[in-house]
Amino acid sequence: MRSRPTLCRRAALSAGAAALSLPFVRGARAADPIGYATWSAAVAQVKAHVAGFEKQTGLPVAYSNSPFAQYRETMIAKFTGGAPLDMLWVSDAWLPEFAMAGWLAPIDAYKQLTAYDAVTSDFCVQSTVFEGKQYGLTYYTDYMSFLYNADILAKAGIPAPPATWDEVVSQALTIKSKGLLDYPVVFGMTQESWMIEFISAMVYSTGGRFIDDAGNATMQDPKTGAVAALTWLADAVQTHKVLSPGCVATGELEVLKTASAGRAAFVLLPKYRLKVLNDPAQSQAAGHFKQSLMPAGNRGSHSTVGWMRFFGATPRGLSGGRAEGLVMLMEWFGGKADGEYVFQKTILKDLGLGFGITELYKDPEVRADLGAYGDVDLMARQQALARKKDTISPWFGEWNDAHGTAWQQAIVGKISVEAALRTSAETWTALKKAG
Amino acid sequence: MRAVTHDERAAAGLLAGLVAVLMAVTAFPILYSLWISLFAVNLRRPNRMPFVGLDNYIAVLSSPAFWGSVGRTALFSALAVAAILVIATLVALLLDQEFPGRRILSACLLIPWAIPSVVNGLMWKWIYDSNYGALNGLLLQLGFIGSATIWLGDSNRTLPLIANAFIWKEVPLAAILLLVTLKSIPADLYGAAAVDGAPAWRRFFAITLPALRPGFLLVTLYEAMMAVRHFDLFFLLTEGGPGGASDVVAWRIYVETFRNLSFGTGAAMSYILAIATLLMSYALIRGMARTL
Repeated sequence: MRSRPTLCRRAALSAGAAALSLPFVRGARAADPIGYATWSAAVAQVKAHVAGFEKQTGLPVAYSNSPFAQYRETMIAKFTGGAPLDMLWVSDAWLPEFAMAGWLAPIDAYKQLTAYDAVTSDFCVQSTVFEGKQYGLTYYTDYMSFLYNADILAKAGIPAPPATWDEVVSQALTIKSKGLLDYPVVFGMTQESWMIEFISAMVYSTGGRFIDDAGNATMQDPKTGAVAALTWLADAVQTHKVLSPGCVATGELEVLKTASAGRAAFVLLPKYRLKVLNDPAQSQAAGHFKQSLMPAGNRGSHSTVGWMRFFGATPRGLSGGRAEGLVMLMEWFGGKADGEYVFQKTILKDLGLGFGITELYKDPEVRADLGAYGDVDLMARQQALARKKDTISPWFGEWNDAHGTAWQQAIVGKISVEAALRTSAETWTALKKAG
Repeated sequence: MRAVTHDERAAAGLLAGLVAVLMAVTAFPILYSLWISLFAVNLRRPNRMPFVGLDNYIAVLSSPAFWGSVGRTALFSALAVAAILVIATLVALLLDQEFPGRRILSACLLIPWAIPSVVNGLMWKWIYDSNYGALNGLLLQLGFIGSATIWLGDSNRTLPLIANAFIWKEVPLAAILLLVTLKSIPADLYGAAAVDGAPAWRRFFAITLPALRPGFLLVTLYEAMMAVRHFDLFFLLTEGGPGGASDVVAWRIYVETFRNLSFGTGAAMSYILAIATLLMSYALIRGMARTL
């Protein structure tokens, strides 16, 4: 029997790219820089840090960046086209697909890099691990935080922020009954990349999981799954009416704007947003927003979800004579540079971006910076309770699409919580089976 | 057989470069996307892209989710095109009259059309927001509503509201096309009707409306094609939500292709949409041409 032909797109793209780049090959080889790609964030900080590296080591770096919205697709096009990439920024959500495609190389053999695991938040390290191999060092990290407007709570006569999700409801009802806000709870449940972070934070804090250790769906399980979290959301909208049904059209940015306008008592937001919320130049509620530990469910803890972006290496970057320079560059950015965590402190100071190195919470400069708008020790405690998203998998994107739709339908009462989680679980199982 | 002249050869030579560029940037991508629609191309598995024939098309056409998005696309398009036709006709009739400030009004009318699509989408996102949106602010101040209304978050309102934003942007062009048609109606016809004592409504239904048919054909065809393929507002306002309420075909193609990286299925969906648009255009032209 004749076998079906296989489309050799990679070969065609590679040939095209090679043909187009022929005139430049000679020049490129002469310099042979380390190819370093990022999305268009912290550009000035990265350029300055690259310049410091080049000055220190004499190794040239070819830095390029592209917008985050198209970054994943751009990188995939570059990989399939054989572009000269050595190091790049990677989102934790893309690790399985990048690693399985052979676009990233493990760094386990380089103890100079893995030594930082001991001083890094566990969920950050775990987020760089796929099938037992580690693929990079943390670039920045953050977690979903529970924030409250202390001024509104004081006006409602509430002495302390809620410690459980039941208390969130009771306090929200008090605020509502006093006519302070129609919807004291403002969460973003629109179909965007933040939705899974909001949901995961609630699921973890109520003691649930999406999948078990073997990777099988448990989200539909009433005891160990996501039932408690989704039931709370559906009740908050439909029964207690403390969360607007409009939450399914509210994104993370809208939550921030609403909170900044003083129109929210309780919000879920990335921790770094606390800086904006308490900045008088950007927020009408400046000085009133405080962080508390993520409320706990009946069987839950104060866990939350953490995410991170990391410096990943390509097989090209870790091949032959290139490895030494790349490892130095990765440590320069993801570890210490000249004996200091320079890059981590720069992006925290300039942009408010979080760090994975836990000992930085003891650094006087870092404490002064974070302390200007929040409780540093509480930030550290919550980070220690953060967990990586257990749903990150090669089929994460497809599952997340179906899952998000089902959750939205349950929140506004179009379908039951059980039906939504059954859909979610069945989609997961089918995608896992298809590989 | 006639010999090719020197001038014709020179012209062909001069055009060859342009034709080559057009082939490279237009014909090649179109044919290449047709080619990949026959393979299981998923960029997450770059080393495994087997030929699957028409399997991608069969999978798409047998998917209930796809047919759900087809229904929503049809509803959105019908709502949008009908409203654009009515509003654009009224605007064109207004601008066909002589009155002070007509030129300024005509210039202002072009503003929505001149606004970039992304800006238009972000503007409507602000307007519709249930927490701090301008629409709720206006209605509350005027006393039409007692508390903030959920707009895009209400799945029954989502499609009409997105259609409204689409209509706002598209009406100017449609009105100008109809105005050009109105201007081409000979004034003698109205003069003769007036002499015969025909009232204004009679002149409108007997002269204006029939004469506008070519304009209606053009506007219906163009706006239907734009509505069926529209993506920007769905991306900016709802990302297919809430609960799939705005999950139209163009959005589904985006998700399949660029989020799921399933280029084979995405290309198949694109071809199905292109063929459907072609058939719809053909039916519209045939149907409306008979009345011209």
